[in-house]
Amino acid sequence: MKQRDDWHLTDALEYEHGRGDPFAAAVRATRMPMVITDPAQDDNPIVFCNVAFQELTGYTRDEIIGRNCRFLQGPETDPSTVTQLRESIAAGQAIDVDLLNYRKDGTTFWNALYLSPVSDKDGVIRFFFASQLDVTERVEAQNIINDQKILVEREVERRTADLRAALDAKTILLHEVDHRVKNNLTMIGSLLRLQVRTIDDPSVASKLDSMLERVDALAVVHRQLYQSSDISLFDIGSFAQSLVSDVVGSSGRSDIALDVQSQALFVDAANASALGLILNEILTNSVKHAFAEGRSGKLSLLVECGDDFGIIKICDDGPGMPSTARSKSIGTSLITRLARQARAEATWSDNNPGTCVTITFPQTEARS
Amino acid sequence: MTNMMEVLIVEDEMLLAMDIEAMVEDSGHHVLAGAASLRDVQALPGDLYPQLAFVDIHLAEESNGLDVCRYIRGHWPDALIVFITANVSKIPADFCGAHGVIAKPFSHAGIVTAMQYLANGMFDPPPSMPRPASLIPSPNLEPRWAKSAN
Repeated sequence: MKQRDDWHLTDALEYEHGRGDPFAAAVRATRMPMVITDPAQDDNPIVFCNVAFQELTGYTRDEIIGRNCRFLQGPETDPSTVTQLRESIAAGQAIDVDLLNYRKDGTTFWNALYLSPVSDKDGVIRFFFASQLDVTERVEAQNIINDQKILVEREVERRTADLRAALDAKTILLHEVDHRVKNNLTMIGSLLRLQVRTIDDPSVASKLDSMLERVDALAVVHRQLYQSSDISLFDIGSFAQSLVSDVVGSSGRSDIALDVQSQALFVDAANASALGLILNEILTNSVKHAFAEGRSGKLSLLVECGDDFGIIKICDDGPGMPSTARSKSIGTSLITRLARQARAEATWSDNNPGTCVTITFPQTEARS
Repeated sequence: MTNMMEVLIVEDEMLLAMDIEAMVEDSGHHVLAGAASLRDVQALPGDLYPQLAFVDIHLAEESNGLDVCRYIRGHWPDALIVFITANVSKIPADFCGAHGVIAKPFSHAGIVTAMQYLANGMFDPPPSMPRPASLIPSPNLEPRWAKSAN
């Protein structure tokens, strides 16, 4: 008797009576839908299906036997999965795929199909064994998750775009405000300078000049702030360096030698204006008093930083200033009070000859 | 005065123009002309020879300093061109051929020392004094000194 006829025997087996092949009986009775196909016959037809398969698909055995498995496919079945399946069968390989299949009544189910070849002792494929599992719930749950993931991603994208637009608007606004501050500072400076030119009284003119220098110092602070990448920090070291060359340069004094030992020294931007004004007072005072009446000399700037504090020391080698005269000037009181505001300390000391002013202040996060 | 520069000022904010004019004159240089727009610059008589031009970027009549810079280079190729602007970031990398920029808000010291440096370089290149921090150089400044020194 031919081997493939065995299946007909198995089919006819009265498993209730427990006779015949116990494995075949188990396959027939399992809840797992299963089919066996015969690749030796034309179009690899189904030669066996169990009851579970009939229940899953809604077809009777007569309607199933003799047909190729593709009769379960329909319009929504993914052609690329079908191609995968066909190639595996052609190559005689096992395959595990999820495939959308159709029942007799037209309803669909997701079929977790496992198909494997069964070879004889000579290695010739005699049958394909296929088990099916209805995984519609799992696939649909996965699809819902995927759909929701896409929705969430879209929403995140939309919100990100909103936030980016809001940030752009804020940046534009900040630049606009910046621009207006710059324009106003420039105009205030220009107005003061134009006014100074009309004043004949030298003492009044020199007081206005001092005002002008203060406005200029504020303008330089602002310019350095808006040009820096981090608007919360201010490099008082590079500010001091450019202010020294500006102040001495604009005095037109080539007989004042500069000794600058500077480095980057970052302070909280909130204190930038106060510290900038302090340095301006010290430097302009030096040029006016220490090097008065054409007296030449040396002006030195030293910027140092420790772990959590910074020091700026400005020294001249002029005649020095009596402390009584110093205490009366607006410059000195500006220095003292602005220093307090910036949590800094200003101390005057003798430079033998000349005066040193030392500003000690807390440094931001020691970022030098 | 031998070290006197003929200066062209292109600025649409009259207060600033007046201020820059005063600083130029106080520094011993001569203000050749003032202009507030590209059209004003184009209308200048052809026999003027500015040696230095201070040019704002944002100008009257919707014109801009970059076009003015190109015009100056076309008509007075020897002139030094320095932008004075609050819009430093709008200047292209090649500065349209200009030699530097002074950022607004400028200080009196910043403008005056920049003029000293430029005059120094113009009459005895390359300049013997250090370049002041207020004058941000363009890639065209150093080659200019090298060219004039020859």
